Amino acid sequence: MEKVIGKAVTRVEDTRLLTGQGKYIDDIGTPANTAHIAILRSTYPHAKIISIDTSEALNLRGVKGIVTGKDILPFVQPFSVGVSAPVKYYPMAIDKVRYVGEPVAVVVAKNRYIAEDALEKIKVVYESLTPIVDIEKSLEEDAPLLHEHIGSNIANHRTFHYGKVDEAFEEADRIIKHKFHFPKYSATPVETYGMIAQYEESSNQYTIHANFHGPFVIQSVMAGALKIPSNRLRIIVPKDIGGSYGIKAGTYPYMVLCAVVSRMVGCPVKWIEDRQEHLSASSSGTDRVTYIEAAVKEDGKVLGLKMKLIDNVGAYIRAPEPACLYRTHANSTGAYDIPNLMIDAYAIMTNKLPTGLIRGYGGQELYFPLERIMQEIAHQLQLDPADVLRRNLIKKEQFPYQTASGGMYDSGDYEKGFELALEMGNYKEIEQKREDARQRGKLFGVGLACIVEPSGSNMGYITIALTPEERASSLPKSGCAEAATISMDPMGCVNVRISTTPSGQGHETVTAQIVSDVLGIPREQINVVAELDTSTSAWSIASGSYSSRFASLGSSAVFYAAHKVRKKLIKIAAYHLQADENDLTIENGSIVSKKDPSIKYSLKRAAGSAHWNPLSLPDGMEPGIYETYYYTAKVAEPPDENDLVNSSVTYGFVADMVTVEVDPDTGEVQIIDYFTVHDAGKLLNPLIVDGQIYGGLVHGLGGAMYEELAYDDKGQFLTGSFMDYLCPTAPEIPNITIKHIETPSPLTPLGAKGLGEGNTMSAPAVIANAVNDALKLYGVMIDTLPLSPNRIWNLLNKAKEKRGANQV
Amino acid sequence: MNGEGSLTLEAGLEQSWAILLDPNVLQKCIMGCNKLTQVEENKYKAELAIGIAAVKGKYESTIEIADIENLKSYKLIVKGEGGPGNVEATGVIHLEHQDENQTLLSYTYEAEVGGKVAMVGQRMLSGVAKLIIQDFFKKFGKELKNIEKSA
Repeated sequence: MEKVIGKAVTRVEDTRLLTGQGKYIDDIGTPANTAHIAILRSTYPHAKIISIDTSEALNLRGVKGIVTGKDILPFVQPFSVGVSAPVKYYPMAIDKVRYVGEPVAVVVAKNRYIAEDALEKIKVVYESLTPIVDIEKSLEEDAPLLHEHIGSNIANHRTFHYGKVDEAFEEADRIIKHKFHFPKYSATPVETYGMIAQYEESSNQYTIHANFHGPFVIQSVMAGALKIPSNRLRIIVPKDIGGSYGIKAGTYPYMVLCAVVSRMVGCPVKWIEDRQEHLSASSSGTDRVTYIEAAVKEDGKVLGLKMKLIDNVGAYIRAPEPACLYRTHANSTGAYDIPNLMIDAYAIMTNKLPTGLIRGYGGQELYFPLERIMQEIAHQLQLDPADVLRRNLIKKEQFPYQTASGGMYDSGDYEKGFELALEMGNYKEIEQKREDARQRGKLFGVGLACIVEPSGSNMGYITIALTPEERASSLPKSGCAEAATISMDPMGCVNVRISTTPSGQGHETVTAQIVSDVLGIPREQINVVAELDTSTSAWSIASGSYSSRFASLGSSAVFYAAHKVRKKLIKIAAYHLQADENDLTIENGSIVSKKDPSIKYSLKRAAGSAHWNPLSLPDGMEPGIYETYYYTAKVAEPPDENDLVNSSVTYGFVADMVTVEVDPDTGEVQIIDYFTVHDAGKLLNPLIVDGQIYGGLVHGLGGAMYEELAYDDKGQFLTGSFMDYLCPTAPEIPNITIKHIETPSPLTPLGAKGLGEGNTMSAPAVIANAVNDALKLYGVMIDTLPLSPNRIWNLLNKAKEKRGANQV
Repeated sequence: MNGEGSLTLEAGLEQSWAILLDPNVLQKCIMGCNKLTQVEENKYKAELAIGIAAVKGKYESTIEIADIENLKSYKLIVKGEGGPGNVEATGVIHLEHQDENQTLLSYTYEAEVGGKVAMVGQRMLSGVAKLIIQDFFKKFGKELKNIEKSA
């Protein structure tokens, strides 16, 4: 039978999705007597709640109950979070609101219409407080405090020194530095948050169906907040999630809210978030200010880096934050061989929506300043940016490469990937294109970026938020465990259960490909179940869909579980055939002798005997075929006492070359070509791979050009609809050319690494580099995003004014 | 958000002043004002129904007249709270004698909005504010004429 791993086979999910048979949260039906909720949200960014009068709303026919923040206090405690600052984050405001959109009260009614109408009848009296939204101003001494008992707006602060930073800066010919700002933006899945929560008094159990996709460490956080034993919180994730890109990890405060409301009102409750709620009050990416300083030699070699990172985690720090600061900790120096590194990392709180996972998480915030400063080094030293990158890229023979901060890059050939990107984009001929554009009155620019794409997060990395001393006093965390269960039924048919909660990435397809190859069964005959149920699935804290972990970890769990089944089947066959196990292999549905193919035993019979005739099995063998494998990578170790941490398991590589034309009259940026080279190790399914790359790239394009969750300086949220929050749509997508090189990972059994986030991380940087190159003659410095025509036009005009003034 | 403007009223200063402070006239001239009741001197409660962009809804408001300098100027403070969010606006109205039948009215305003109105209506807000204010003075001019006629 033909091997299917690595083949561009079509997705098994597509038939049901394209014929309207997908099973999303809103499709799964509700228990009898389910009520619907609507959430009253704060219109103030920062205010004391003086009173809430629900009497008129309660009188509305069809309203079953109204729950306010104070009401839930007997049943919840604050969510735990991995920092030492004692932030009290509840699923609903208790006595103070800290961002526009924060839940203040919940109406439970017969239907959503009544619930929404009742919201308008609730009267809340607020006492307005001074809001703070600016990252750096939040650190000033007289800044308004969000959480007075903490005494500052700082949720986390750590400083790291790796190598000999001071010496590197003394040795340098030049120190090149700049401040960059990466804005707050989001992911906008078509399906918003949705959940059905039910409390059963007889068993003191909460059951929540939700489109939550992990990390399932948050199940423990939720059970803690609900003050119940964790096996009394059952979370069931539907088969299909309508996209997430990280954002749906933020469903958990609402899951706890709905759970408590169900308990207090005494009926199951359902909530489907609307788009305004999603943009204003779900979760978002983290906005960051970075001060970056590079110590460089005249030839462009970077000797050391200093970075001050200030992350704005919004009104409350909540899990998994401050992970945006640390997810890329091991790859802080990107694709470059820079042994000396200092990082001063802050997570601060302001009156904005709390943040959380988003595709690329931490990567775009890191690479925007890093790749911009690499280009700036070239500009200031009057070198070709390509030469500066070449001088600094990690060389093939340096792998496995240990980074300054403790990362272990497993494999790669960065120079090959980068040269391929330059060749695709015809970099040598770029001056001709610049001239052609000039003749047409356009400004042509080229941007380059090389980035490392981490995948498969080490669950220990987040503890780097604590000092080594603080870490020593608690239990260490490590690993990246993922599980898969494979069973064969009495007729020899295969069922696979995975815990990677796909949100559209095609895990069912790739799982079937892997099991097909290991068990020699056509993939069409394999049934993959992607629903996760914390009461019945095999799962662990790391389970879920995030950090591009399926290709590196989920696939490995499936692979090893399939091998357990394979081993058992071969044992059964060997016993019946009186043959040597080592001589047997599986081919075309049969277990056959490698030496004599006439000696064989059908797979169906081997599996069947474990059910129909267990007494025929070898001594000591259990009946049935049902195998679970928990996989973790050994390299996911806890941080050491010197704060060295390998924050991810596998590290891919992306090299981008982008060409743009800027219209100097309107400031409009047109992307001419986007060339991208990926090395994600062995590709499991190239069709899915390219789909993931397109999606990730377009999300990155959004961050670069269009998307921003904007607030005014008073903390009012300004982008609550798709007319105000601009997302790229089909016409905005440029020409994209993808090429792959495959340097297998030595760490994963299939040699695969994660992907799908790479261009989300690189696109904002490389597009900004291209635009900056186009505007180079004007002396413009791009240091924030998105690159709207308005922003570019203003930059150009300021530059022109300055030039005019200089000429006078 | 802020702005300013001026217009000529076809009435003398004293008459203009008196009518500007007449609550019945105010109720008629404020867009979407369904009810205006006095709670204390120079302080009123009002029910306003206004749509800004896609955000339509009712606001329970207080309208306060402050800093009165007779025949010269006063400050109008409007605070509204409702389903679509909250509004706080302050306007300063200044009158200046032109001749017996004409008075120059100039105004400045500052307004802040919060909640849904800010979230989805930001693009239209300054336009809507201008519309509401222009509408107010248009109606006010009409009232002034009506009163003159009946006088």
